Amino acid sequence: MLCRGVVKRFFRYEHRTSSLREVFIRAVLRRPIHVRRAEFILDGFDLRVDPGEGVALIGSNGSGKSTALRLIAGIYVPTEGVVETHGRVTAVIELGAGFQTELTGLENVSLYAAVLGFKRRELAERLPDILAFAELGDFIHEPVKYYSSGMQARLAFSVAVCVRPDVLLIDEVLAVGDQAFRQRCLERLREFRRQGGALVVVSHDLENVRELCSRALWLERGRVRMEGTAEEVTAAYERENG
Amino acid sequence: MIGMTGMTAAAPWTEVWGARELLRSLAVRNLKVKYQRSTLGFAWTLINPLLTLTVLAAVFTHVVKIAVPHYWAFLLSGYFVWNYLLQMISTATYVLAEHAGLRRSVAFPSEVLVLSAAASRLAEFAVEMALVVAALAVCHHSGVPASFSLLPLLVLLLILLSLGLVLPLAVLAAFYNDVQHAVPILLMMLFYASPVFYPVRLVPEAVRRLYFLNPIAGLLTLYHQVLYEGRFPPPALLGGVAAASVLLFLIGYAIFNRYKTVLAEIL
Repeated sequence: MLCRGVVKRFFRYEHRTSSLREVFIRAVLRRPIHVRRAEFILDGFDLRVDPGEGVALIGSNGSGKSTALRLIAGIYVPTEGVVETHGRVTAVIELGAGFQTELTGLENVSLYAAVLGFKRRELAERLPDILAFAELGDFIHEPVKYYSSGMQARLAFSVAVCVRPDVLLIDEVLAVGDQAFRQRCLERLREFRRQGGALVVVSHDLENVRELCSRALWLERGRVRMEGTAEEVTAAYERENG
Repeated sequence: MIGMTGMTAAAPWTEVWGARELLRSLAVRNLKVKYQRSTLGFAWTLINPLLTLTVLAAVFTHVVKIAVPHYWAFLLSGYFVWNYLLQMISTATYVLAEHAGLRRSVAFPSEVLVLSAAASRLAEFAVEMALVVAALAVCHHSGVPASFSLLPLLVLLLILLSLGLVLPLAVLAAFYNDVQHAVPILLMMLFYASPVFYPVRLVPEAVRRLYFLNPIAGLLTLYHQVLYEGRFPPPALLGGVAAASVLLFLIGYAIFNRYKTVLAEIL
């Protein structure tokens, strides 16, 4: 997985016209339809993660960590630069956002597998592993809207990990599960790396970062402030942020 | 394969082909959610159009007398086509918003959402048309006219035409939130500007050129000729509607592709 000179520009709107009626009125009054200025959420982002490597992105809120993950996942398209990923990429980014709440946990699993391009037979092979890891019991047959946030996290994480991706992106989801589940996740992620998976983690839990990752990047206002081993970077980050 | 080299590299149709499993799953999911809690199932979705049809048939045979023999057969031959378009256009106003969560958490070509809505609606349409064809063959033609063989082509044109309208409309609705309020009004106008409950020959000759600028008018006329009149349509009309449908589809899809990379960024 490789990011080279990635730039992501968003627009911050002082005024965003969100109705056609207003577009019309503004056009008649010859006022600009949008008043906005460009803001670089990521600027000159380079990252290379090899198979078996684990890299953490740390930094304060709004520093561009989640945007970086979305770019790697292919959800956002970079304004400039290249994102290259090889093989299957899975991501647990926004908790529960990918779920269809009307459908049961099991139906969501097959929908998610379909998003990843799985054939039904492939899914059938991995399903026992997914269900065993999520430990939801009979709840797997209930609509996801009745799930607690912890249960949703378990399901999302289980699917993302158990489909054996080549690149796995995790955004702060370990914070939700209970202690026992967190331990199992950490174990599973270490195993994922041993088997040659490339892992990118966004986390504020520096303990987890040191445990899971060999390298870390410290992002600040869209730029890489520091890059190095997980120990170095988390230590420097801790020094500055108390 | 998701995220092979990002989403920009592949041509749109390769992307959609890669996401065919998702397309199938979403289409099945649409039907599942819809029929989950209704024991009447498909019969339930038929009630609404059948009631409308009954009202239209009653009004235009007994109150405003439209001189069309077997008026009910005329209505049947076009109404479900109109109904398909109506539902697809309404769907366009919310389909992207409905799946905002999915779009923000996984990478996939977002036209799949529109296509899956079209696919599940098409499954229902297929059953409706089978019933219409059976009813017309038995009660109206007392046989199966050769023109019925054109029906698959007409359905293809309906798919292209509807996607050509729905794809850009979905983008517009994602950007501007009053589109969903404007669409019902436009649909109501379109209902009167299209030959749903009256035949084209009642439209004054003088304005007919203008009238046929509405591509739906041409398409419905084809359905009337093939299903109701049981004759092959003039090649000029068939060719014109086909060209318009293909063109609309290509333009609509191009517009969608132009904006689809920013769709994940707006909520």
